[in-house]
Formats: sequence, structure tokens, C-alpha cells
Amino acid sequence: MTYRMFTGAAAALITSAALAVTVPVAAHAAPAAATPCGAQAMVKETLPNGTTWQMCWRINDKAGLVLSNVFVSTKRYPEPVQVLDSIRLAQLNVPYDNGDTEYNDLTAIGMGGYGLETLTGDDCKGGSIRRGSDGGGQPEQRDVLCVSAENRGLAYRLHEEEWDDEKDEPKDTIYSQQGHDLVLRTVSRLGWYEYVTEYRLHDDGQISARLGATGDLAPTEYSVANNGWPIGKGAKDYATMHYHNAFWRVDFNIAGKGGEKVEQYDTATDGRGTMTAKLKTTKTAIAKEGTFSRVNQRWWRLVSPTSKNLDGHDRSYEVVTTGGDRYEGHPETKPDITFSQKNPCEKWASDNASDPECPLDIQTVVDFVKDKEKLSDPIAWVRVGFHHVPRDEDQSPMPMHWQGFELVPRDFTEMNPLTPDGRSGVNGNQYPDE
Amino acid sequence: MVRIRQWGWGLGIATVTAVTAFSVASWQANATPSAPPSTPAAAGGQARVSDPSPVPEAATGTGNDPLTTGEVDKARAIALTPQLAAEAQDVTGKAGPEYLAAELDVDGSRQAELYYYDYKTEKLFKQVVDLKTGKLAKSYSATGMQPPASPQEAKAALELLVADPAGAELKEAYRKATGKTLTGTDGIEPIAHIYTAKPADKGASQCGKSRCVQLIAKTADGHFINVTGVVVDLSGRTVAHLK
Ligand SMILES: [Cu+2]
Repeated sequence: MTYRMFTGAAAALITSAALAVTVPVAAHAAPAAATPCGAQAMVKETLPNGTTWQMCWRINDKAGLVLSNVFVSTKRYPEPVQVLDSIRLAQLNVPYDNGDTEYNDLTAIGMGGYGLETLTGDDCKGGSIRRGSDGGGQPEQRDVLCVSAENRGLAYRLHEEEWDDEKDEPKDTIYSQQGHDLVLRTVSRLGWYEYVTEYRLHDDGQISARLGATGDLAPTEYSVANNGWPIGKGAKDYATMHYHNAFWRVDFNIAGKGGEKVEQYDTATDGRGTMTAKLKTTKTAIAKEGTFSRVNQRWWRLVSPTSKNLDGHDRSYEVVTTGGDRYEGHPETKPDITFSQKNPCEKWASDNASDPECPLDIQTVVDFVKDKEKLSDPIAWVRVGFHHVPRDEDQSPMPMHWQGFELVPRDFTEMNPLTPDGRSGVNGNQYPDE
Repeated sequence: MVRIRQWGWGLGIATVTAVTAFSVASWQANATPSAPPSTPAAAGGQARVSDPSPVPEAATGTGNDPLTTGEVDKARAIALTPQLAAEAQDVTGKAGPEYLAAELDVDGSRQAELYYYDYKTEKLFKQVVDLKTGKLAKSYSATGMQPPASPQEAKAALELLVADPAGAELKEAYRKATGKTLTGTDGIEPIAHIYTAKPADKGASQCGKSRCVQLIAKTADGHFINVTGVVVDLSGRTVAHLK
């Protein structure tokens, strides 16, 4: 929706020019050009397979960890290409099943500032703790961000068999490669619950966003058998079931061009072939704002209108999400994903009422899209719910529970960015005449 | 391995969305492509990241850097206009608004947005300070907006609750948790959630127009006490039961 005036292009030009003469704070990085952030706020790491992720991070008092200006480059494609303008949490709504308690953890208490934990112990084992502002009203420099590189198992495997003409014998090559993620995480403590905000940037270009819940169950939230679960001795105290409705705000900026198009794909059965069912996949352009939910064989992607890979295909990222458990108690927690036109007043997926510059009646993602504005600069609001039915094992501390979604590159590069040299010719139909 | 990169900020596409394009940055590699990493994976296959030593906080930030302590201090001095300082009231009733939060303006320009609450008019103020010019660029205020509580507000809420008959539940829970009797508010750290009444809620319908919180009390030995069903109205300085 449009209701807050932007500064305008002229002002933007001035800003941009002014920034260009700013010398970065970095002592060692020190190129004499402007950067999107100084060295302390930048994470730039190269994973063992040669993939480099670089981005800026900061803590917002409500959202907690915010990543911005996210770029990726790989050994095969060494030019850094932008993926995201920014990604952050956009709400964490926690209603209890007895209907007597509900928290909006971002907008009513906040993941940053005094809610943000200083990292210690095993919080960042094997990684690097980065110090920075906690985003509070009176900001403090604390050890709040963990940056680590973690194994993600087998990235690919291929057993190639060829005939070696010179030696006149078969030749076997096994391509077997471990993959790694660059992981950024912070911990917020809101009462007894502790939440881990985590972004995993894979060496193949995929990004996983997830929220971990640990800490302890609410100490005095007990109810009855049909909305609680007995914990402790016997069946006396029923810990109240509740939801963790998490929302993320994702702003793509593919190759720095922006203006992504949104597409939905659906696959349906369409008769039979000679052996089995025929399936047909159709594309629906999402040209206007709206809320969307998954059905079987449905997915979405954001496509650059101008940036193409070397095969001439439009670069895009697919949003892979299940939505998790769907909370029926609010209109805004029902859709799995909302695409809205970018607007600075639309900050929080619900309870969006904390900026006097903005109207008071545009409170949720449902409100953001109700006028079905044309999408020329889309924001994706991704909801993932978790209906938490307590169990004995939740005491104590509660085992970490994760909920989240994936952003998967689709035609971002013309081949697997981790393709080994021996497979670099394998692009497209190898036997076009057969 | 030190690699020099050149950074360029620029306006992206100049289309209908040009107004938003100034957040677009291009990070470009210099002529030298990234060499394959030698072996960042140490023995045992554990991949490593760099581990820079913390450096003292800079006086000012650049681009998307978080607001520095110096910038927040400077911005607060500018945002608190003589009029606001004289006419507004904080949670304790003293002159001057309740300071809540500082955020970096996300529009791309480097501006500090400072948020204050005035208990006299029940208005939230947003003061936008241009850090470059050192001037108050914009000012907005509205009723019915309740961002998270300041530490001072959480403390004030706890004091109101303890002094109210509704505080009996907290005192009883405190005695159970610690074996001690709660006198005053010593030995408790309050955690405040803003409470805004929704149409179907019962008991504290003024909350939203008024500034209200629900409290969680943390005892010195780490117990949490959830004060359920009770709302502290900081504007009206009253305690209400939900039901
Ligand atoms: Cu839970």
C-alpha cells in the first residue's frame, strides 16, 4: 500500500553522493570508496568450497538481528552478486490455547536491546563472536553475534565412468564433496523463553532462515487436559499448549536490480502417459499484492526482470516454505506468505502500530495488501507457525526447537556454483541429436 | 589472505520504483578473482571463519552501520526540543517525555529515529534527526501507539503492582519461589510486555489509548513469576484484572 511519501529520487541522489565520500571506519579493509557498512558491521567469509558470502549486520531493538546487503560469489562465479536487500524477523506472536495469554514478542517487548543476550559458554563454539551495538535505547557494545562455518554434510556425489581412449581402459572418477554453511546467530531472552535467530548461508547459494526456541516453559501457564499436557508427576498440572507464530520480512534485490516479479507455480494431474500419470505445471504471475497459502505442488519464486545467468535465464530465488502449523485465531496468521509492495510504514507483520509517521489502521499483513496495489518492488512476508504441545522433555532446559524456511537459488547461475572442473562442460542436453 | 574490494554505491534502475532504488548497492570485486581458498578447513575437516579482535566503537557510523553511542547521544540532545522537555511528562510524572528507543532510518539516508512517550497527552513522538546536519529533520506524534517499555517504565509498573491489592498474587508466588517475604521491589527484576486491548478482551479496554504493561518478575535467584491476568495501566497509575 502507498501512504507514506518517500524522500524522493532527488534526495536519494544527494544521499548517495554524500555516502560516496564517507571513509569507512575499517582500519584494515580500507578501500577509499564508500561501503554499505563499516568493517565492524560486516561479515565476509569464504567457505572451504570457495563460496564467499558478504553482508552487513545490525541489531534492531524490536526485530533483533537484521542482515542487509547480502552478496554471494563462488569459485566458479567470482563476481559478487547481490541476493537480498535485507532479511529479518517481522513478528513472533505467541497465543496460549486457553485464550487467556498472548504475547507479541517483537512489538511488545523486543528481540534487541535488553532482550538480547551476551554470548558465552558453548553459544558460539568453533565460531567467532562479533561485538556490536545491542540496538537498545542506550546502546551497549556487547558480544552478540556468532559467526561460524559449519559442515552441512554431502553437497553432491557423482560416480563418473568414462572410457580412457589412450590407456584403452575404463576410468572412474568419484566427485564427492562436503558442503558448508556460513552461520550467523543471535540469542534473545524474553522472560523464560530464549529464542535463537539464525541465518545459514549455504555454499551453494541457498539461505535458510530459522528461529530456535529453548529456555523454559512458562512457569505459571497451566490449564486443563484439552488445552494442556500433563508434566511433572501424575496428571495434575497441564502445561498450556500455545503457538509460536513467526514471521520474516524478506526483501530481495537480485543482482542489485530490484523490481522482482513474483510467480506462483502449480502442478496438477493431467491424464495419463503410456506408463503413469501425466502432470502439468502452470505459472501464475502475481502482479498485485495479496496473501497466499500452500497447497500440494505449489511454490513461489521472485524473478529478476533484468538480470540473467550465462544461459540467458532470468535469475530468481524460490521461497521454499511449508507454513508449519496454521493458527486460526487471527486473520494474519492464516496465509503462508504475503507479497506486498515495499512501504516503509509496513514494518511488522502484525501489531504494526509503533510509528507516528504512519497510519494506525494498517496493522497486519492482511491490511498491507487489501488495496491490491501493483507489485513493482515486492516484499515477501513468510509465516511459519509451531503449535507447541509441551512434553515432559521440555523440562529443563527445553530442547531446541527449530522453525523456518529456505530461499533456494533458481537459475541464479547457469550451473551448480560448486560444479567441479571435470563436470564444467555438462550444461544442457548432452545428446541433442538423439 | 587480504583481498581488496572496491565498493560502489549507486542508484539502481531508474524506473517507476526509482524512489526505493537508493538502497541498492553494488559490491564489486576488483580485477583479481577470489583465489580458491588454500585450506580454510583445519585438521578434522572443521571449517573456520576469521576471528577479528573487537575494536573500540567508532564515533560515527556509515551506511547501514548501527547507530553508535555517540550518534544516539547527539541525536537525543537534538530530538529533545525545549518544548517537548517542558511540556511532556515521563512515567514518573516528571517534566520531559519518556525516552523509549533509537532506530536507524531504513530509507537509506543516515538518520536517527528517536521515540518518546508523553504521558500528559498519551502521544508517541517520533523525532527524526539528520546526523549529518545535526538538525531535527522531522517530528511526528500520534495517540494509540505503544512500542515496548523502557526499563524505567518496567520498574514503575512493578512499583504500582506491589503497592496494589492485586500484587498479592505476585507476593505469594515470590514467597513460594524464594521462601522470603517480598517487601518493596528489591530482589525483583521486572520484564514488561506492552498490553493493548483487543475488542474482545475484557477488563482493561482503555489499554492502547493508555500505556499498559503485563509483568514478568525475575527473582534474584533466577525464578520467573508470571503475573497472569493482571494489567498495570501506567497512564492511569492503576492495576486492572483481565476477565
Ligand atoms: Cu513453546
